[in-house]
Amino acid sequence: MSTTTVPTLDISGTGQVPLGRLVKVEVRKALDTRAGFWFAVSIVGLVLAVEVIFALVASDGDRTFENHLGIAGAVLGYFLPILIIMLVTSEASQRNGLVTFTLEPRRPRVVLAKFLAGLVLAVVVMVLSAVMAIIGMLIGGGDDWGLDGNLIFNGFILSAFVAVLIGFAIATLLMNTPAAIVGYFAYTLILPTAVGILSALSEGFEKVAPWIEFNTAQTPLFMGDYTPTGEEWAQIATSGLIWLVIPLALGIRRLLRIEFK
Amino acid sequence: MINVEGLTRTYGAFTAVDDVSFVCQPGRVTGFLGPNGAGKTTTMRVMVGLTPASRGRVTIGGHLYRDIPNPGRHVGVLLDASAQHVGRTGREILTIGAETMGLPKSRVDEMLALVSLTGGEADRRLRNYSLGMKQRLGIAHALLGDPSVLILDEPANGLDPAGIRWMRGLLKGYAERGGTVLLSSHLLHEVEQIADEMILIGRGKIVAQGDKKSLLAGGGAEKALVTALDNAQLTSALQAKGIAVTAAGEGLSVEAAPVDVGRVAAEHQIVLTDLRSGGAGLEDLFLQLTSDTQREGHPEAATQQPAQAGGQA
Repeated sequence: MSTTTVPTLDISGTGQVPLGRLVKVEVRKALDTRAGFWFAVSIVGLVLAVEVIFALVASDGDRTFENHLGIAGAVLGYFLPILIIMLVTSEASQRNGLVTFTLEPRRPRVVLAKFLAGLVLAVVVMVLSAVMAIIGMLIGGGDDWGLDGNLIFNGFILSAFVAVLIGFAIATLLMNTPAAIVGYFAYTLILPTAVGILSALSEGFEKVAPWIEFNTAQTPLFMGDYTPTGEEWAQIATSGLIWLVIPLALGIRRLLRIEFK
Repeated sequence: MINVEGLTRTYGAFTAVDDVSFVCQPGRVTGFLGPNGAGKTTTMRVMVGLTPASRGRVTIGGHLYRDIPNPGRHVGVLLDASAQHVGRTGREILTIGAETMGLPKSRVDEMLALVSLTGGEADRRLRNYSLGMKQRLGIAHALLGDPSVLILDEPANGLDPAGIRWMRGLLKGYAERGGTVLLSSHLLHEVEQIADEMILIGRGKIVAQGDKKSLLAGGGAEKALVTALDNAQLTSALQAKGIAVTAAGEGLSVEAAPVDVGRVAAEHQIVLTDLRSGGAGLEDLFLQLTSDTQREGHPEAATQQPAQAGGQA
């Protein structure tokens, strides 16, 4: 090498990209493609459709605001993860991660921004769904507007939060859009069915199931008085460790190390 | 400005980049040349922190890339113009970049104008872009943050001849204003006209580096191609000096520098109609230096290079 001195780059005048800006960009990225935008619209549309159908067919006593809100929460909990999956996996499937992680090479910040963006989207969709629930109430003509705090927290907010985390875990673990969506449906549809069949066949397994199957364990959040018992909370915690915490830890670890090609 | 120090990157038993060191100076265009899969892309990926180095390191202006805050404002990067969401419009892709870097929206239009993408083209989705349009968009993206260093992997790939000439002018002007440019190519003629400095890489190792002149100087014996009104007279005059001459088409191929041939012709008052250097051009040198490192169908090579649509090699 003929040169001994290499000119330096003056970076003193540049600040880090603020986290808020990264979150804003990630929210934008979730909605600026046809797939992302229409999927978000479809979720809200589906909630509206379900609300209207419920308003028209439910018996008078069932047309309470609580029930309307509970239905909205269940639909959201089901479809929110896919929105998160698309946001996270597109970085690898569409390969724009190459640019994302070049503009912000400190990957944990991007991961955090994506997670916060997912929460922001979840909140927006939740608010819109609550509006749909109100519309459903008005159509159905129910007059029981009473609300249980447990429903709002457990059946609506907590379940949506878990949904965001589930989407995040599956997405980071698989880092491939179609695979992650298939994986998600396997987790929500096939797994509980399989567990149900096994439980029907074996009494012993029936007792174990809620401890190891996250979908089953979460049921008390949306049912009855929306208040899981101590044992049910423990089941949510243990099955959540298996299906949420461990995959999430492995997935994030993978996202931080993966070589985006 | 860019300082590559003893960089090695291995994938299992395969060494993609093997103890590579070089420096890119500001105000100069550095060409990074090598056949497909030689390790150019891997080296550039390590530069911007997308691939961790197995050994050695790369600093840009004295910093590791990951230590540069808001790096888009300092280092413009184009690794793969196709690595963008195909469902986004060109304008949206630039807007996301500008927003991340904290730039005004007007910067997007400036860059679109700079790379000659029209408003209609900018509003098309990327899946409808030709490779050349993607390259222009990628160059616009790299220049968004007004960086002082540019790292471009195969930027001419897919550009038409006018586009290649445009890019040459753009990068030369950028370097003349003090910028540092590193661009890779597997096509020598793309690089030799703009690069002030060239790094030749083959199978992960640097096989030669320097400016065009010094590379040619080390490229073996000189040759001249000459045509005279009386070729026979010139042949005997040259042979009398002990210079080997062979017939080549209408003229002669001479194992000597053009200046020596001219001198002999002047001494004997032989009229020349054509005299030029027939020495090993850079192309020959390039092929010769990398001949033992050319390889076809290596699986790793296939994954390290974007699809080569140029096919002019």
